[in-house]
Amino acid sequence: MSLAVSLRRALLALLSGAIFILTVLYWNQGATKVQAYNEALERPHNHRDGSAFPIPVEKSWTYKCESDRCLRVSHHGKSGKRVSFISCSMTCGDINIWPHPTHKSQLSQHTHSFSVEDVQLQVDTSHREVRRQLQLAFDWFLKDLRQIQRLDYGGSASESAASESSSKLRRHVDSQSPAATLFGATFGVRQAGDLSSLQIKISVHKSGDINFSLDNDESYQLSSSTEGHRLLVEITANSYFGARHGLSTLQQLIWFDDEDRLLHTYANSKVKDAPKFRYRGLMLDTSRHYFSVESIKRTIVAMGLSKLNRFHWHLTDAQSFPYISRHYPELAEHGAYSESETYTEQDVREVAEFAKIYGVQVIPEIDAPAHAGNGWDWGPKRGLGELAMCINQQPWSFYCGEPPCGQLNPKNNHTYLILQRLYEELLQQTGPTDLFHLGGDEVNLDCWAQYFNDTDLRGLWCDFMLQAMARLKLANNGVAPKYVAVWSSALTNTKCLPHSQFAVQVWGGSTWQENYDLLDNGYNVIFSHVDAWYLDCGFGSWRATGDAACAPYRTWQNVYKHRPWERMRLDKKHRKQVLGGEACMWTEQVDENQLDNRLWPRSAALAERLWSDPSDDHDIDIVPPDVFRRISLFRNRLVELGIRAEALFPKYCAQNPGECI
Amino acid sequence: MRFSGYNRYHCSVFASLCLCFAVGAALTRADEADVNSASRKWLCSLTDICTSESELLPGVHYDPARFESQRDCRLSCGKYGAIWPMPTGKECTISNDRVRFDPWKVRFHVVAPGEAATQFLRETNRLFVSNLLKECTRNCTLESSKQILVRATVANETLILDWATDESYALVVRTTETATFVDIQAGTVYGARHAFETLTNLVAGSVSNGLLMVSAANITDRPVYPHRGVLLDTARNFVPLKFLRSTLDAMAASKMNVLHWHVVDTHSFPLEITRVPEMQRYGAYSTSQTYSRQDALNLVKYARLRGIRILIEIDGPSHAGNGWQWGPAAGLGNMSVCLNQSPWRRFCVQPPCGQLNPLNDHMYAVMKEIFEDVAELGAPEETLHMGGDEVFLPCWNNTDEIRNGMRERGYDLSEQSFLRLWSQFHQKNLNAWDEINERMFPDIKEPKPVIIWSSHLTNPKYIEAYLPKERFIIQTWVDSSDALNRELLTRGYRLIVSTKNAWYLDHGFWGSTSYYNWRTVYSSGLPVTRNKDQVLGGEVCMWSEYVDQNSLESRIWPRAGAAAERLWSDPKSSAFLAQRRFYRYRERLLARGIHADAVTPHWCVLHEGMCL
Repeated sequence: MSLAVSLRRALLALLSGAIFILTVLYWNQGATKVQAYNEALERPHNHRDGSAFPIPVEKSWTYKCESDRCLRVSHHGKSGKRVSFISCSMTCGDINIWPHPTHKSQLSQHTHSFSVEDVQLQVDTSHREVRRQLQLAFDWFLKDLRQIQRLDYGGSASESAASESSSKLRRHVDSQSPAATLFGATFGVRQAGDLSSLQIKISVHKSGDINFSLDNDESYQLSSSTEGHRLLVEITANSYFGARHGLSTLQQLIWFDDEDRLLHTYANSKVKDAPKFRYRGLMLDTSRHYFSVESIKRTIVAMGLSKLNRFHWHLTDAQSFPYISRHYPELAEHGAYSESETYTEQDVREVAEFAKIYGVQVIPEIDAPAHAGNGWDWGPKRGLGELAMCINQQPWSFYCGEPPCGQLNPKNNHTYLILQRLYEELLQQTGPTDLFHLGGDEVNLDCWAQYFNDTDLRGLWCDFMLQAMARLKLANNGVAPKYVAVWSSALTNTKCLPHSQFAVQVWGGSTWQENYDLLDNGYNVIFSHVDAWYLDCGFGSWRATGDAACAPYRTWQNVYKHRPWERMRLDKKHRKQVLGGEACMWTEQVDENQLDNRLWPRSAALAERLWSDPSDDHDIDIVPPDVFRRISLFRNRLVELGIRAEALFPKYCAQNPGECI
Repeated sequence: MRFSGYNRYHCSVFASLCLCFAVGAALTRADEADVNSASRKWLCSLTDICTSESELLPGVHYDPARFESQRDCRLSCGKYGAIWPMPTGKECTISNDRVRFDPWKVRFHVVAPGEAATQFLRETNRLFVSNLLKECTRNCTLESSKQILVRATVANETLILDWATDESYALVVRTTETATFVDIQAGTVYGARHAFETLTNLVAGSVSNGLLMVSAANITDRPVYPHRGVLLDTARNFVPLKFLRSTLDAMAASKMNVLHWHVVDTHSFPLEITRVPEMQRYGAYSTSQTYSRQDALNLVKYARLRGIRILIEIDGPSHAGNGWQWGPAAGLGNMSVCLNQSPWRRFCVQPPCGQLNPLNDHMYAVMKEIFEDVAELGAPEETLHMGGDEVFLPCWNNTDEIRNGMRERGYDLSEQSFLRLWSQFHQKNLNAWDEINERMFPDIKEPKPVIIWSSHLTNPKYIEAYLPKERFIIQTWVDSSDALNRELLTRGYRLIVSTKNAWYLDHGFWGSTSYYNWRTVYSSGLPVTRNKDQVLGGEVCMWSEYVDQNSLESRIWPRAGAAAERLWSDPKSSAFLAQRRFYRYRERLLARGIHADAVTPHWCVLHEGMCL
């Protein structure tokens, strides 16, 4: 009895001492914090409403690595060193890089801790532009690291914890109190890890090109080694683009440990990597719904981290024309949903420049001749004649695939002139390229038949595309881009578009005959099969009548398992014609409120399919456990960066890798 | 280009506060003059379609009244205007005229018996104003606002919220030369709060300053079903409090009144049980992914002020595991069995496995302590959801401890024996619950019924042997074609309906399930029966295997709103006729900060009747 009393007294004394020390430390910490987190630039891609939830600290569990997976063990009331989930995962089993590197890679078991302040860059290149671009990429890389290190790893989600009575605190002595968090944070900042510096040396010698092209060499090598308290990371690539991917990989070799509140990375590593496909795209439709520049940038950040490299911007459609053209502002005046739901030239340029920092090319598409209507109705008023027909015509089902209707006038020279100007502007804003998208899908011949009944309508369509191509050439300083993409359609089933100039984005079913025909006819193709890579499917019909355009929902496993080049058993020649693939986000039933979770982590599944193209000896429906483990960690990284990626499974399954499969 | 910078621009040019004021005032006046003439260009057709005058449809008859915007037009276009869910009373008239007002200048007068009810209504007024402010599209302050005087009269002082609560109300708006008078009459504070919710549906943001309210309206309204719920699972994935509150906000906007909080499951036990801290300590995903006692109490209060009960479910004997594993260490034996066992397919329907041990008396003692905590969290009249679904008999049958225990008690190992064991589990828990309530709330005379999921045990063939209908309300989760609802109704059971092939919001993202869009949710009717009181209502279910705070809001909303109208109004008309009101309802959710899913291209919302 008396022993208990004296014990309590001793504890009390100890507690008051601790409080004093903490108070002192708190002041110190305040000073260092301001210094460390002083940032010049705001992160543009964060959610404005700040609804992100603090990443929880999981003090109740410790993890141990057993036969290549981490086992969750209760850590309550235990005093030994706790191993956090992330630190266990990063050092247990296969490497955690998404997409998986394509060559043999090695990471040491030994790790180092450091703080973001210790990271320095050294660029080794003779190309000035590359140096500038790498410096930008590095700045954003650091910002991401800082964001991870600064995350509010909420000690007490219970909002009332602070106001709770002391009796509660006593009950939870072993759980994390705010004081404990503070303690950790303070020491975390003080003893900035066991590295004195982390030097990143990026070497790019071969190519000084910073313009996007399908011929960009995206391979890179990364190696790191420790000398005393210095860690040297070397990224070697033949071009800026390869080096940029190296930086994405490096970012994934770094993690934040909630135990010592420091960044960690490997003492030694060796990664050699190159993509299997050169076109790894994601398409966003900004016409059915408008998406802010901020949300587009956020998407690009996630693309960069997953090494997707083409952002196909389906800028306009029949529903709205949000782009404010310098030459023809009437298009947006008549076609945008509102004055604020628009993109200025500056916006497009800004997105393109931002995307380049993340190694992502912006490919704008002004869909034509179909999928154009609202915004094109002012021709007669300006004496230019009808630029488009069937605009908003009813009954719509006679004249287009979905309301509202609209199709450009193929016999009005002004239509082509406007297109030419639009191409010109967009090329200026997004930079030189060897790939451009002309749209060209789903032309409804009945619409045109109302006006040009005497003509061969399919011929008219073909002529339109050829004319658009000619205008593109003019807009591009007299040179046609090497790859001019169009959507697959009835037209691409004829051979009227020369395969030497046109590439086809195939969006039909993956088992359709057209897949084989297009390859046989010599076209280069980009696969966007509706049955696997259409991310908008599965939400039912958005109209009162009719069936859903496509169902069901494509799960991330569906996206991941889709491997058309294997299923089609393509020979070497045909395989070379496959430029890559692209996931499509049509936005009839999506707006900014759920863009992130519709895109992610499913787009990441596509990213690994196209970058690594892992072979699957597994069952058709089953994704290997290792992939679950890695994508789960990658999803966590996205969430840490403020991207609201969807949950893959119950958190239990994330904490207990392999148990739910 | 962008409107919002307009006033600021002037201010910076003149750089003088004084001038700025003058210009501001001039602009405001100009705006008001504008509204009355040239910019009023939206019309409402006799078929309930709002169209801009530049796009009038040929052959369609339009009412001569003109409105400044689509939002303005929608306020009174069609019998129910923009009210969601549609009122059910005889009276529902909404004027085409508007008053422009400043939400800060609305005056309230509360007439209620009792201090508690008065206080409640004052809070309601505060929430009402804050919701109005969210409708503001431009500057909402007006120098010369019309006076809005709101009088809310409540007949009964009770704050009890259960299936018997009178949620009806009558709402009259009339405008005289001097002011606009809003008169709200309701039986209880809950009816009154619904009336305020309806009143927000009679208000829209304006293209110039201030808000617009219909100048006259007469609405009587009462819900068809007393149980209008959303089930939210916070065990598969943890849902932070902020998102629980946003769910409650959206429910309040939809006049839903039950949050069925599926707070624990096999996966995790985030709820703090003060009497048994081990539950949370062993069961939570992390020390921060938890709900403290105080959090839960605050949440219950938060919900009540929005006319919502929080009905807590402690699922068992199945769907329980993590959180229960400390028995052996504490000398209480195995309280759960099959826990986290693999291969899971042998022991449960979904990983991780876990099922309570019905032969362990310590488990019942712990359960009783959990119930005591739960009873303290809720209002005295609040009841409990006991779960009781998906018991996987092979789990028990594969556990030696249970097989031996049953043999000792003289049971064979037949299915019927296991069912008996299972029903005893519920009976024992019910006794515990009754005892707690008798002690804690002696004023409540009748023992409260508890709720239980449909399962093997509710098979019409033998349900009467296991679950007395006076004490157990069955929440069914079968397909709409299933005969179960009908059979249980004939046997006199009360039901809460969660039609699996319409109201399971998690479907469509896993296995062979399919997604139910809002029209399907809307069209899903409840079982018809002679004794109407037997069908208490229904719940949409948000199981959280594939949802956490990142996608929760868009998965639930606006679809749950479609169920809200089904449950409040039980409309005879189709979703087709509701769609324009529904789109407006969705926009209100967005304005209130709920990230509701998009349901149709924006163009189709703006161009009514063009995307059929």
